[in-house]
Amino acid sequence: MSRAHIDFLLNEEKISIKDLDTNTTVLNYLRHNHELTGTKEGCASGDCGACTAVVGELKENKISYRSINTCITFLYSLHGKQLITVEHIQKNKLHPVQQSMIDSDGSQCGFCTPGIIMSMYNMYENKIKPTEENIDKFLSGNLCRCTGYLPIKNAIKNMYSYKSDKFSKSKVIRLLKSIKRTDTVIKKNGSKFFIHYNLNSLIKDYQKISNGHLLVGGTDLALEVTKKRKDLKNIFYLGSNKDLNYIKNKNNNLHIGSATPINDILPILENIYPTFAKMFARYGSEQIRNTASLGGNIGSASPIGDSLPVLIALNSKIIIQGKVKKTLLLDNYFLSYRKTKLKPNEIIKEIIIPIYKKNILKCYKISKRIDDDISSVFMAINARIEKNIIKEIKIVCGGLAETPKIAEKAQKYLLNKIFNEENINEAKKIIKKEFDPIDDMRASKNYRTKISQNLLERFLNENNKIKSTLY
Amino acid sequence: MDKIFTKNIEHESAVKHVTGKAIYTDDISEPKNLLHAVIGYSNCSKGVIKKIDYKDVLSSEGVVDIITEKDIEGINDVGPIFKGDKIFTSKNIEYYGQPIFAVIAKTNNLAKKAALKVKIDLKISKPIVSIEEALKKKSFVLKPKYLTRGNIKDGFKRSDNFLKGKLYSGGQDHFYLEGQIAMTIPQEDNNFLVYSSTQHPSETQQIIGKVLKQNYNSIHVIVRRIGGGFGGKETQSFLFAAITSIAAKKLSKPVKLRVDRDDDMIMTGKRHDFLFDYEVGFNNNGEILALKLMMASRCGISPDLSGAINDRAIYHIDNAYYIPNIEINSYRCKTNTVSNTAFRGFGGPQGMFCIENIIENISQKLKLEASEIRKINFYKDKIKNTTHYGMRITDNVIEDIFNKLIKKSNYKKRKAEINNFNKKNKVLKKGIAITPVKFGISFTTTHLNQGGALVHIYTDGSIHLNHGGIEMGQGLMTKLALVASNEFGLNYENIKISSTDTEKVPNTSASAASATTDINGAAIVNAINNIKSGLNEFIYDYFKTNSKIKYENNYVYFDKRKISFKELISTAYLNRIPLSSSGFYKTDKINVNTKTLQGRPFLYFTYGAAVTEVIIDKLTGENKILQVDIIHDVGNSINKRIDKGQIEGGYIQGLGWLTTEEVSWKSNGVLTTHSPSTYKIPTAGETPFKFNVEIYDRGFNKEKVINRSKAVGEPPFMLAISSFIALKDAVCNANKGKNSKNLIAPATAENILKSLH
Repeated sequence: MSRAHIDFLLNEEKISIKDLDTNTTVLNYLRHNHELTGTKEGCASGDCGACTAVVGELKENKISYRSINTCITFLYSLHGKQLITVEHIQKNKLHPVQQSMIDSDGSQCGFCTPGIIMSMYNMYENKIKPTEENIDKFLSGNLCRCTGYLPIKNAIKNMYSYKSDKFSKSKVIRLLKSIKRTDTVIKKNGSKFFIHYNLNSLIKDYQKISNGHLLVGGTDLALEVTKKRKDLKNIFYLGSNKDLNYIKNKNNNLHIGSATPINDILPILENIYPTFAKMFARYGSEQIRNTASLGGNIGSASPIGDSLPVLIALNSKIIIQGKVKKTLLLDNYFLSYRKTKLKPNEIIKEIIIPIYKKNILKCYKISKRIDDDISSVFMAINARIEKNIIKEIKIVCGGLAETPKIAEKAQKYLLNKIFNEENINEAKKIIKKEFDPIDDMRASKNYRTKISQNLLERFLNENNKIKSTLY
Repeated sequence: MDKIFTKNIEHESAVKHVTGKAIYTDDISEPKNLLHAVIGYSNCSKGVIKKIDYKDVLSSEGVVDIITEKDIEGINDVGPIFKGDKIFTSKNIEYYGQPIFAVIAKTNNLAKKAALKVKIDLKISKPIVSIEEALKKKSFVLKPKYLTRGNIKDGFKRSDNFLKGKLYSGGQDHFYLEGQIAMTIPQEDNNFLVYSSTQHPSETQQIIGKVLKQNYNSIHVIVRRIGGGFGGKETQSFLFAAITSIAAKKLSKPVKLRVDRDDDMIMTGKRHDFLFDYEVGFNNNGEILALKLMMASRCGISPDLSGAINDRAIYHIDNAYYIPNIEINSYRCKTNTVSNTAFRGFGGPQGMFCIENIIENISQKLKLEASEIRKINFYKDKIKNTTHYGMRITDNVIEDIFNKLIKKSNYKKRKAEINNFNKKNKVLKKGIAITPVKFGISFTTTHLNQGGALVHIYTDGSIHLNHGGIEMGQGLMTKLALVASNEFGLNYENIKISSTDTEKVPNTSASAASATTDINGAAIVNAINNIKSGLNEFIYDYFKTNSKIKYENNYVYFDKRKISFKELISTAYLNRIPLSSSGFYKTDKINVNTKTLQGRPFLYFTYGAAVTEVIIDKLTGENKILQVDIIHDVGNSINKRIDKGQIEGGYIQGLGWLTTEEVSWKSNGVLTTHSPSTYKIPTAGETPFKFNVEIYDRGFNKEKVINRSKAVGEPPFMLAISSFIALKDAVCNANKGKNSKNLIAPATAENILKSLH
């Protein structure tokens, strides 16, 4: 018997909901149902951060905090969590992030400010060191059009020098603990919102319903509601499902639950594949990385999904769970533009990433803007070079075709060749003919083609210790 | 007027900003029965509507009504100055995003859902989209303008060298974080209260009056603050306020229109992109003797403010340089795109972009240090001090700022280091540039240079301050409250900052042209002086004194006595002394011949300079700003904290215009960059940590402007031209000294790669 309502904490108040539309976003809920208008709508697509709030979740008796874009977060996904809004962080006096922001003149028109304050609060509560790299990373999802960010960066640098009011979190912990994490179905106006805590019950319900929508980060799905104004009938929220949220390292393979947030994977990748991790640090924004998942990236199968070329280059596999369980090499998963071998009623359960200890992995992302941008071209290269001979190589590109695609001819040419300029030049000629990319607002066909060639040159340069990257 | 302000306080709303308590239009408590409007617009750029089927729209859940051209009692136009900006079209589609109808429904979401259900039968025809097409077809929104000085033939004859070429600067979306929004609430007697996110409440009032066919006195517009404007809410906000007012009148209900971000970017105008075709003659030392220039901008479908914007581009083609012989042909192109509009700098950035590129190209051709060529061409004090539009420059400080910055930024040493770096690096190449800014302050449309204020003192001595300016983040309210507190000698906290309100100060100009503090500040001083002269008369009479009277530290001093301001006011009240006054100000000295463009369009100039160092990747065109050094003149600052914010923010907004922000149109006139996922304004990562801003220490306004300060809103935007020129330098360095003439703006990675040989 499933529960038919959700419980969560709005700041420190426990709230139960069952009567609101299943497509309600957290932002609209705050603004319309509570008149908490400090949280702003800037874009309704998760790109500007004006709507940023922080979500607290119980992890081993402590609350772990993450920033989210409330405009693309569905209200019912908050079950069992605490939602912290800008109105709440001030206790007896202003919170350090607020006072520091004022003293550094970090606000001008003030419209982006509440969102930035919440991104700063996220940093502060997680005790993130205010290094230049971290500041850029944690602000990557917040646009400000007035200040040019300098005073905001200063505010972050200085925020730890302010003392905060001490207050006990025991009440919040107690309230969070009181919420049972059991399977939940909300039914409203013929639509359903499912929250499952294990794989079996999820599969059981998912099999029964045709056209169910799987939800983790919502970067694609929520836009169907906020931009295309569709009514999504059946949403299956995977973000709380224990059987889909894990990372295990066994037998030289990383096993990653499909709904595991990117930000949980990042620290592990930093040790195994630093270049992969570095790319992920430019994947979406901090808010996006806090909720988005590999399963979402693979499931939506966008030709410009940045993790896909890397996963393919690493010969990753996915475990698909439907009536039966099957394992598939990711190479064979994509069929055509956003079409894959995933059948209705099947879900991606796990991603298996082999760990190559002797290989070089390169992840080249080219985009108009460095942070929070979709790549115009992405190239992942997984190679093993011995005595300057290319013993093993896989080159996978994003943004050059309707799916992520392997540069088969170029990599075939390079295999067992000497890793030198002559051979790379030949491979450049080959890769040019291998793709027929499109012109769009991100880049022209010519540019994409030229970049695919030049990134091979970058690969050689880097091997020869020639400085070749800015980012 | 010339007093010094010492209190560098924070933005008046800073605490409210950081706590989420600052109220923007969408945050105002919604009235009962509020309805929501959403606009249905064209999805092609040129065509004729054959049939519209609203059946599914009307039967959609929550829909109350549809508003079209038929519901407009007055004029179907929201154009400022010139007509041409239709509210709704019923027949001809002239641009992508042109409003056709508005749905009125119970919620914003239901209204949008319904609007998407319209069925429009169209006959599509071929649009004019690019500047080149418009030039070829002589498609203009306004007549071309021509300006000349000296003898261009003679100038070329005397030149040792010649260069010609084309330049292009791209458009720019304002991307104010608070999108367009308006709410109209019916009052008794068919009056309407309008909340609008606008830079121009008075014109909002006038336009609604004309649209509803009512007297202006029946429309009341209130604006407390707006979430960014940058010119994008100078005229573009009128459409939305007009629609909520039409609907509110028709349905006798309050109506709100909050525009979705994508719809906003599609339906509102942007910065004009410009095409330049130049021929320049110069001496062997780089001194410019003649410039022949064709400039053409994409104005979109209507004049809007394009006339004044293109005029200002002409007025800034010289930047800080004396050009003895010049001939300019300026074309204002009509295209089937949304009407382009005001944007910080208002044509000035485009003009300066042109001349700075020309100078860089001269430097690359002569292989001479660009900063030296810039200096050689600077306006001088006694000679070479008159602009091409006949205005004598009497406040020139550019040389001093420029020299100081070269020294402070270690420009020469860094240039040498860059050469060294470039020799050692095959793929990554650095570049550096220093560029000046000279920007003219005043509206070039002379009559707009007027402002008003209304000041009340209540019997407890507290002050209520009102004026015509809009707070859009620039810190206007903070500065003006400081002005009032200084004039009364009262603590800043005693000054109540209030919403800008058409019932308090009438017939105001837009908060634009950087002149808002100058104009409204002077009007406030005038109002306060009116009150003070009454108070002074009262003191002479009541206290039997004829001594000088001083207002300081919350006291009033005369003879050897002092009484508190509060006591003075309560006594004055009991003696029936007026404690309220309006104030008015108009800028003197300015005049322009609108045909020849000759005259004195500006009261004064502001100056500044920036050094930017960049690095590019030869293989991908990716680039990064490494360091920025700025010295900028704000006169004698009223509030340095606020001025510094304008300088930093202006630079980064200009950097976006010139690097990552690309407005992209398909050849059929459809805009493809209409959301932050495809249109990329700078993030924190684009802002270099090495960013040194110094306010010019000898800043002083020769004109009698409040506190002898200078306007600061727009000028710093143009400091960012140094970033583009530095990228050009890097490309030139990567091209082994061959030129980088063909780099166009924005210098995206793709455009940089294209310009590499």
